[in-house]
Amino acid sequence: MNTAAFQNVQFTNGYEFTQGTGYTLPEYAFVTPPELVQNKTLRHAVVIVGGGISGLTLACALANLGIKAVLLDEDNTVGVKGASSRGICYTQKSLEIFQKLGVFDRIAKKGIQWSVGRTFAGDDEVYNFDLKQQSNFSLSEQPAFINIQQFYIEGYLVERIQELGSVDLRWQSRVTAFKQNKDFATLSVETPEGTYQLQADHVIDATGSHTPFHAWTGVGMESKKGDDRWCIADVRFDTHPPTERHTWIEAPFNENRAVWQHLMADDVWRIDYQMEPNADAAYISREDVVRERLERQFGKKVKVDIVWVGPYAYKSQCLTALRMGRVFFMGDTAKIVNPFGARGGNTGVADADNLAWKLAAVLRGHADEALLESYNDERLEAAQENVKVTRRTARFLRPADGVERAFRKATISLAKQFPFARSLINTGRMAVANTYRGSRVCGETGGTSVQNVKIQWRPGKTGALNDLLQWADGRLLILVFGEQSKASLKRLQELSVSGLPVRCVQVLAKGGSAQAREHIWDKQGHLKSACAAVPAGGWAVIRPDGYLSDTGQGVNGELIAAVATSLCL
Amino acid sequence: MKTDLNLQDADGFYEQLLNAHEGLSADQSEQLNMRLILLLANQVGDASILRDCIESAKN
Repeated sequence: MNTAAFQNVQFTNGYEFTQGTGYTLPEYAFVTPPELVQNKTLRHAVVIVGGGISGLTLACALANLGIKAVLLDEDNTVGVKGASSRGICYTQKSLEIFQKLGVFDRIAKKGIQWSVGRTFAGDDEVYNFDLKQQSNFSLSEQPAFINIQQFYIEGYLVERIQELGSVDLRWQSRVTAFKQNKDFATLSVETPEGTYQLQADHVIDATGSHTPFHAWTGVGMESKKGDDRWCIADVRFDTHPPTERHTWIEAPFNENRAVWQHLMADDVWRIDYQMEPNADAAYISREDVVRERLERQFGKKVKVDIVWVGPYAYKSQCLTALRMGRVFFMGDTAKIVNPFGARGGNTGVADADNLAWKLAAVLRGHADEALLESYNDERLEAAQENVKVTRRTARFLRPADGVERAFRKATISLAKQFPFARSLINTGRMAVANTYRGSRVCGETGGTSVQNVKIQWRPGKTGALNDLLQWADGRLLILVFGEQSKASLKRLQELSVSGLPVRCVQVLAKGGSAQAREHIWDKQGHLKSACAAVPAGGWAVIRPDGYLSDTGQGVNGELIAAVATSLCL
Repeated sequence: MKTDLNLQDADGFYEQLLNAHEGLSADQSEQLNMRLILLLANQVGDASILRDCIESAKN
């Protein structure tokens, strides 16, 4: 009954401190666009609508490949006015993408690294993990996670886009109408200096959950809402809890409901409290009520600065298609997940990285236009997976009264005694780079993300897989592992000069000897293990988004077929 | 899913199960059953067998 109130009430004006020194968000100037200067409708290859984390990542990824695009954002800053929940936790895959785009160092300097998570029920710790100990995180140059306020990343992306050029960032530009035919789309844009129209070959909707493009395109959607209610308090205080992710399934200081505790940059902590089902948004976010709640957890003596308060009711929804004609949906316009395991923003970042190289390849004439259809194959699969995973968490955290709650009680009691039952405790499954099983452009052994592992250019000079991807500049990277026959080398050379958009590199193990001019060393065998099932002497095709297309044994027609499949040629 | 007898001591098991519930309230019995289901499921492990068992129990 309070659903509407949860959606409509605006509790915040961005990330401004309510006391103490506040954040000053950057402001970007409106620049009169050529359409208004020349008073005519211009055509653009790519128009991105929405300058949130997904839209800006796409813009930056296109700029990194030298592709021209226009980005329209209705605001004049990063951060969101009136939103109740924004991302704080960025996965290794996102950090690898940000490294490729040139903003990782800024993020690492500002953000907080963590790898330990602990889960409590009542006064007992029932479960903990250290991601540093897990091999699926340990090979990358990037850490398992960094926590940082979303607007910082958005700000760094804007800076980077301005450094790179290529993308025209248009602030205070709100799209008010849309139509499309089979060749192009037409958008009406409202600005402080008047309204204009522009045309686009490709439109990317990254406007977020309240997008008008769902109605404009008539795309289908599946959606689910529950009665669970939460209230975030982002706080600073003069105590320093450990830099770990703590979750309580049943917190004694929150009437045995769940609580999340997580650190961000600037010593700001996010404390997220589960409220009573259908709790009143206005009441639970009132300052005195929030303070009382914080006091119950941290004690009366701790001095608390409330940075931001946001009550929210989660919903999850997923489109039935991520492409409608000339329009691609990504980030929160593609899907909304319950906010568990950092599967929202990180999925948007991966959407952007997936689409960027495909658009670039098609626009440069390196791939058939059909390649763009694989965006839907891969990212719809990822969206559906993330929606499924987060719905399971939501069901664990808000079990239906009766048998569901009784099963949770049994699970918690077993988890305190037996290791196996700890795996059933579901306080959020941390986001991973999704695997693509149903993609038209991946082979049987492909579809997995390759970590950004360290390599050696030559003894003593190290680099990483991302450097190779950057060198490949939007082309496919073909790695051949170990010693090759003369015939294979000849075929590789022919492939290199064939005009196909590929870059070939020989990967040498310890004690190997270089046969190809372009070669690197993988002395610890990390790159080979990161490339999943690649056989000895075999090859791996890696895409610009760091995903494996396929692997195989001999340098022959199979490799050529894999290249062709990867680009829909 | 096995449908022929696999228990080493069927009568003995059945008796143990009933004895475990003796003197328990309905809530306690429910918790015992649930803990037992989860423990046994972990012994089985195999996802397709577990799915078959759940489906068969429903009918």
